[in-house]
Amino acid sequence: MNPRFRDGAKAGFAAFLPLSVGLVPWALVTGVALRSAGLSMLEAMGMNVIVFAGVAQIGTLPLIVSGAPLWLIGLTALALNLRFVIFSAAIARGFEDMPLRRRLLAGYLLIDGVFAVCTDRMLREPDRHFRFGYYIAPAAWGWVLWQGFVFLGVVGADVLPRDWSLEFMATIALMVILVSLVRQRPMLVAALVGGLASVGLRDMPLQLGVIVAIVLGIGAGFVAHHRFGGSGETD
Amino acid sequence: MMDGAWIWLAFALVSLATHGPRGSFIVLGHRARLPEALREALRYAPAAALAAIVMPNVLVSGGAVSPFNPKVAAAVVVVGVALRSKNPWLPFLLGMGVLLLLRKGLGL
Repeated sequence: MNPRFRDGAKAGFAAFLPLSVGLVPWALVTGVALRSAGLSMLEAMGMNVIVFAGVAQIGTLPLIVSGAPLWLIGLTALALNLRFVIFSAAIARGFEDMPLRRRLLAGYLLIDGVFAVCTDRMLREPDRHFRFGYYIAPAAWGWVLWQGFVFLGVVGADVLPRDWSLEFMATIALMVILVSLVRQRPMLVAALVGGLASVGLRDMPLQLGVIVAIVLGIGAGFVAHHRFGGSGETD
Repeated sequence: MMDGAWIWLAFALVSLATHGPRGSFIVLGHRARLPEALREALRYAPAAALAAIVMPNVLVSGGAVSPFNPKVAAAVVVVGVALRSKNPWLPFLLGMGVLLLLRKGLGL
């Protein structure tokens, strides 16, 4: 093993380890939610490996379970994942001198926590072995932790009683993320408009109301940004 | 509900919609910047999408808007706790606690 890779791996792992604990409740809840929604164990873990994105998984789950049209499921997942385009653009320069195989792996493993921890050093460190180690060690650790605790949640959901309203844990998980997002006023406006529009438009055919509500929310956030400026704190 | 092949197709689609955005710039190695207006609009998509999924789940009960159902009380507790505490377990414990208390304890 390249010693610079090893140094990078150690440093990256140490930086992400404390933050990675936050993945544990998420993963457990995701596992319970997937199983409580009616997926088989194979389907739940299969989705978890090929999608590997808690928000997109829990967010599309109600649509998948209710048999919504595929295009609606795809568009909703895309809306939930658009932040990754920005993350990807922000960190991309750190991978420019790496082979395609590594860049594909890096893209698959890009999660919020690893992005937050690794980006700064990825862009400053000249040695590409160090850079790859610094990224891939915490990213792989995040993957293992996520898969392991989702599996525990999937298995645990079978043991837990059926009438405990456990499916609501998925809604709680989404609300917690939402709270962390809406600390700026335009974000809050986007969420309020998107949410209320979705309630108001819930009877539209093909569940089109969800997409229309998301578009209205994005538009409202955009307008609010130009009204109040981007930095208006809500608290 | 759904049959086997359809559900895997749905997973594949969600996977594409996840790994496309994640890999986009990393895999293409672009230095290109997104247009400013587009970048700005993209920032609001997750909040709008999450709220569009969450709010009907909380506010609608049996097809009608009901602002006083147990899920609303649980949601208020979750938001309050999430705003005040960094503990990742508390929103789940207290939110589920309130929901179960109202539903099973009081039979609402």
